[in-house]
Amino acid sequence: MRCARLLFATLTIVAVLVPARVGAQCGSNASSCVSCHEGQQAAPVLSDGRPWHADHGFGDLCVACHGGDPAAASKDGAHGTMHPPLGDVAGSCGGCHAEDAEERATRYRVQVATSAVAATAAPPSSMPPPPSTGAAPSASTPADRVLLAVIGLLTALLVLVVVRDRHMLVRLRPGTWLRAKTWNAYVAGAGLGLTVAASEALFGRPLAASGAFDKLGAYLGRALFPTSPYYRYIMRPEIGWQVWLMLGVLAGAFTSAKLAGVARRRWLPDTGWTERFGTRRSVRLLVAFLGAVLVQFGADVAGGCTSGLAISGGAVLSPAAFTFMAGMFASGIPTAWLWYGFREKR
Amino acid sequence: MMQIIEPLGLGFLFGWMLHKAGLTHHSRIVGVYRLRDMTVIQFMLTALVVAAFVLQGATDLGVSRPLPIPATFLVANLVGGMVFGVGMATAGYCTGTVVAQAGEGRLDAWVGGLSGLIVGALAFGLLQPHIMPALTRTGALGRATLASLTGARPWLVLILFGQIVVLVLYALARRRSACVAPSLGHEAKPAP
Repeated sequence: MRCARLLFATLTIVAVLVPARVGAQCGSNASSCVSCHEGQQAAPVLSDGRPWHADHGFGDLCVACHGGDPAAASKDGAHGTMHPPLGDVAGSCGGCHAEDAEERATRYRVQVATSAVAATAAPPSSMPPPPSTGAAPSASTPADRVLLAVIGLLTALLVLVVVRDRHMLVRLRPGTWLRAKTWNAYVAGAGLGLTVAASEALFGRPLAASGAFDKLGAYLGRALFPTSPYYRYIMRPEIGWQVWLMLGVLAGAFTSAKLAGVARRRWLPDTGWTERFGTRRSVRLLVAFLGAVLVQFGADVAGGCTSGLAISGGAVLSPAAFTFMAGMFASGIPTAWLWYGFREKR
Repeated sequence: MMQIIEPLGLGFLFGWMLHKAGLTHHSRIVGVYRLRDMTVIQFMLTALVVAAFVLQGATDLGVSRPLPIPATFLVANLVGGMVFGVGMATAGYCTGTVVAQAGEGRLDAWVGGLSGLIVGALAFGLLQPHIMPALTRTGALGRATLASLTGARPWLVLILFGQIVVLVLYALARRRSACVAPSLGHEAKPAP
């Protein structure tokens, strides 16, 4: 219980430290345009059916056409310098579509012509209210009734399970919590769940790991590939929230390991590794490097990693999270079988 | 300043939990893919369900900020997950655990892992304009949730989801009761 109290205290401290921030800086990787319009659902456009928005939803590209300040923290600051979309085709589209910018723009122009004025001249009060994704619909839908039936069945099943297997209920023993080498996976998982909830409810941000490396990599990317549209328009280098979050992870893991007496410099993972790959340091470094390249690349394609997409996205029941997890295991299980086999070596 | 303390504090708890769950161990991460050590699944699903209930409760009480709902691109999510799974099952870590392993003192994570993550980010940066339009063309559901897609009440979806997770965790624990606290593997001896 001591640990639960510590966790609660830490969360309370974090909560007290929350300054009354408003407006735009709520997203994760995203510009303030995406953070507010999509993340906070202030006026989502991704699914508004306009072809340009649908075609470019993969990137954070609002600024290219609409102008404005994607780093501004307030709505007025962000919207102050907006201009009608497609006014300057060469400047807006030429970065990615140098060859046929004008031709592409013509296709979109028809659709945006009517909305261009409204987008720039809309007074703040005319913003549509956020759609009530969290609120319950007033009447129960067919899906509700199906769900209720399934929930009833599963409740009965769970009661049976608990009655039959009471001994499997997790018993939590207080003791030397902070110095323990490991915790029960459910307890640590619940701790992570509360951390994710704090991050999302208090700060509106997913507990994301991979974004930090996109931001750090962007320093190199801008220097090495100055013409890349991705580094020119989408990914801005930044030492911000996500990088600090990762430094916190470093400190948290170190502190936990130090208290448990297992923090120590070493080059090789445990015997699970050496039984298969031997004790050569260069082999480990090479595989560690290649594995990390794939991990980060995959996370970027998917839109997040195990923490930022699978857990943080799963916590809001996003289909993206479950699709990602399905892909992760669909490829990971055969890969592990190829490398390591399923059986333990004796 | 607050923008530093807050993420540092959250990250500290994140790293602490990763370490206490034993996820800084190669054999534990790879173990889930070898179907031998289900800790990763127990840890992830518990975190997911706890967070989901707290967040839904906080939203209904009106004390939550608007939640960051990720955009769903089914094809990109699946393909990215598959690339991710290959890397994770090979090297024995994911993005966050590389950092946690580095914190525990693992130099392979410092040298190979962190540089690999940066190179992976750069590779994505170069390929993004060429691959992402194709990967996001089909299966784009926007910032959807299971509740918004089915039109059901969020609480009902959540309760059902929680029940399914409990049953999955129960089935895992029952089938592998010998593996509830599996070995973390022994420390490897460095090459002479």
